[in-house]
Amino acid sequence: MYLFKEVPNIKFTSKRYYAFALSGLIILAGIYMFFTRGFNMGIDFSGGTLIEASFLKPTSIPQVRSMLSKVSLGDAQITRIGSENKFFIKTMASLKKMNISNETKMEGVEEYELVARQIRNSMLDSAEMDQETAGKIDLNNTAEGEIARFLRDKGLGDEDALASAKIIIDLRKGKNGIITDFSALENAGIKHRVMTVLRDNTFLSKFTFLSVEFVGPQVGKDLRRKAALACVWALIGMLVYIAFRFKFLYGLSGILTLFHDVLVSLSFVLFFRIEMSLQVVAAILTIVGYSINDTIVVFDRLRDNLKIMKKDDLEAILDKSLNQTLSRSIFTSLTVFLTVLSLYLFGGEVIRPFAFTMLVGVIAGSYSTIYQSCAWLKVWEKYFLKRKKS
Amino acid sequence: MDKSMTWKIGLIVAVVALSIWLMWPLDKKLNLGLDLKGGMHLIMEVETDEAIAIQADMSITQLKGLFRDGSIKYEKVVRRGFNRIEITGTLLDDERKIKDILDDDFRDWTYTVGGNLVSLALRPNIEQQLRDQSVDQALETIRNRVDEFGVAEPTIQKEGLAGDKILIELPGIDNPERVKSLIKSTAMLEFRSVVSGPFLTEEAALKDYNGKLPEDMEIVKTNPRRLEKGFYVLKAATVVPGKDLKSARRAQDEYGAPAVGFSFNAQGSTQFEKFTAANIGKQLSIVLDDRIESVATVQDVISGDGIIHGRFTVDEVDDIVLVLRSGALPAPLKYIEERTIGPSLGADSIRKGLMACFGGLLLVVLFMLVYYKAAGLNSILALLLNMVILMGIMAYFHATLSLPGIAGIILSIGMAVDANVLIFERIREELKSGKSPKSAIDAGFKKAFWTIFDSNLTTVISAVFLFQFGTGPIKGYAITLIIGIAASMFTAIFVSRVIFDLTYGRRKKLSKISI
Repeated sequence: MYLFKEVPNIKFTSKRYYAFALSGLIILAGIYMFFTRGFNMGIDFSGGTLIEASFLKPTSIPQVRSMLSKVSLGDAQITRIGSENKFFIKTMASLKKMNISNETKMEGVEEYELVARQIRNSMLDSAEMDQETAGKIDLNNTAEGEIARFLRDKGLGDEDALASAKIIIDLRKGKNGIITDFSALENAGIKHRVMTVLRDNTFLSKFTFLSVEFVGPQVGKDLRRKAALACVWALIGMLVYIAFRFKFLYGLSGILTLFHDVLVSLSFVLFFRIEMSLQVVAAILTIVGYSINDTIVVFDRLRDNLKIMKKDDLEAILDKSLNQTLSRSIFTSLTVFLTVLSLYLFGGEVIRPFAFTMLVGVIAGSYSTIYQSCAWLKVWEKYFLKRKKS
Repeated sequence: MDKSMTWKIGLIVAVVALSIWLMWPLDKKLNLGLDLKGGMHLIMEVETDEAIAIQADMSITQLKGLFRDGSIKYEKVVRRGFNRIEITGTLLDDERKIKDILDDDFRDWTYTVGGNLVSLALRPNIEQQLRDQSVDQALETIRNRVDEFGVAEPTIQKEGLAGDKILIELPGIDNPERVKSLIKSTAMLEFRSVVSGPFLTEEAALKDYNGKLPEDMEIVKTNPRRLEKGFYVLKAATVVPGKDLKSARRAQDEYGAPAVGFSFNAQGSTQFEKFTAANIGKQLSIVLDDRIESVATVQDVISGDGIIHGRFTVDEVDDIVLVLRSGALPAPLKYIEERTIGPSLGADSIRKGLMACFGGLLLVVLFMLVYYKAAGLNSILALLLNMVILMGIMAYFHATLSLPGIAGIILSIGMAVDANVLIFERIREELKSGKSPKSAIDAGFKKAFWTIFDSNLTTVISAVFLFQFGTGPIKGYAITLIIGIAASMFTAIFVSRVIFDLTYGRRKKLSKISI
């Protein structure tokens, strides 16, 4: 099977002004978005508290918001995860904003822990609240070690306490992280005497926190600087390498192409309000390293052709090289595209921003190889590239 | 089969065998990251400024002693900021003596003398040294505490450009405030004598002194979990400093309630004996991290050891004993990042990661088979070997597999066949230009080599920068990517060549190959 029966003869280079216009348009729109709306900064970069909460019953965003309003956090950013009853709750709230005085601040408890605790309390219904104030613990929101210790304090032996806590946590590894009723625990093999203690001293709330993350404001600032630096250094690294293996002008064209890929990817991150996080930066840096691959394949061929086709003009040689490597360029990108696509589809919510950025980057990379890298060489020709035409 | 062929196959078998041996059993050799198994990730900043301030305060005490010995008159010796000391109100006549003292005993400081003011500044290299020391010491102390607490496979290491941050990863623990307060406790234990108290508020405590406390006294809060909430006025000087503590253990008081037992070293014992002898009937407080844990009346002369009683639970006693044993932190710690991942999210991530892995593999395999037929099979074999080698190397380095790491593996599947595509397309081109299959294979591999090398190296370059910049999981991703690329160079160029040679090499006449 072949994509092309014969080596195609498409005049890529002559279309360069359309390509420049299209890319320019995307990038300009991206820049406009950047200045008007800015990036949707994740907590890696902005700092704050991020909670991933899972509810047993169907819950809507307004419902979650009204719970949060009880602790003056109605303005938190709430995002539904997929179609399940799971939500990301992001806030940069401090105790002051939540109208909590320093008096209630507990010894040795960090401010953000209190914020998380307040959010948890806002989600308990009144019956659960009563159980909590009566000193019962919530098996859906307590850690394994804490459960074991609690059971031990209630007079159970070490072995029983540890084994039961493990069963409880394993049950929570199920679909949404929530145990629905005590009979589920009994069925999972918890001993009868432990069950009596559990029924009397614990309760099962109808939600759980799958993860709680806190990042201090200083960390975000550091990270932003480091991320930008890493990108700049990676680009310089590419420039040096290509200039060393080929020529400086090739390096320059390669870098412009990469710069284009980065800007286009970032533009799409802006268009789709993808959360700017460490992952997205990792994706961008991977694109920087990867999308140069195609470009190098073309430059490689170009170098050969420049020797063979001494009489032709540059545009013809560029087109010839692009056409000869076209199926390779398409297929090498395609295999990566397929794997990233699989990551996007099956990898889950957490890794999706990474997969999205990679998808855009891979497409942009293979488009730019064809329409940008050689086009830039053609642009330089007028001014710098002196070729002897015999 | 010729000799070089045997040698090549031998090498491949050896590499694969080694990889399998290294990765066996996989679940033991490969650590799962916190995002996959659940647990706690903490980054703390050591407030090194504080450590320097403590050093400066010690220097001030020393300076005052030396001035007293040399009968040098001065008005005040105070600390400015965290790393400067100012001596005011000195006499011109004493200037020489002061200079001598500073030259002899304060080499870590630079000083200027002007009028009746002497100002000292800590030398920058000494300051840096102190900062590094305090981070190292904090790291050691935290390691001791976490080890004693018994968390399996914790990670405790320095982090950040300035090296003043400490990364702690505790797998399998989700949200234990106990561990956090344990780590953070400075563990400064002091025995100080009580002047008056308890008072309900700070104002009430100040009342006896018309709102201004004498310099040698201090108001200290009680720890509300042990004593009634309130304040005491204590002597600022400690009777016995924490460093003279020899050991701590779990004990019981006379009613059988849990208590913290401690013993002093020789110096501490002598001092404590002297103090108790002189203060029978008076009150003594035990202060841990600027909170009063216990107040007791001195009944008798105590020397070697004693107990702290309060309303402790057994766990609390254990925690206090643990922090006292692990030593004091040189400076306070500040939490700057915390991520807690629950068990169900981890299980979910693994499931989805595996699914994405298989999905990606399947798509690539299908594509290669449909498009390159038999040669596609060749590349798939190479791809599988690639995965085995990748896992083997990761197991050898005890790499931690996290969600971004899985993404790295998936991505390297896609990139590994890249090299195959480059080679196959080149072979097809050579075939088209009329070469015989054998020489086409030969030329295809030869010509594609540098292209593959260049293109892979660029990816490695950017992965290296990513590694440099990243924290935890991102580093893991960068490493996986680099290892994956290295493995794919081997499989795509070397292994698939050998497979080609094996398939077609022995035939005398080869007119057609399936590609």
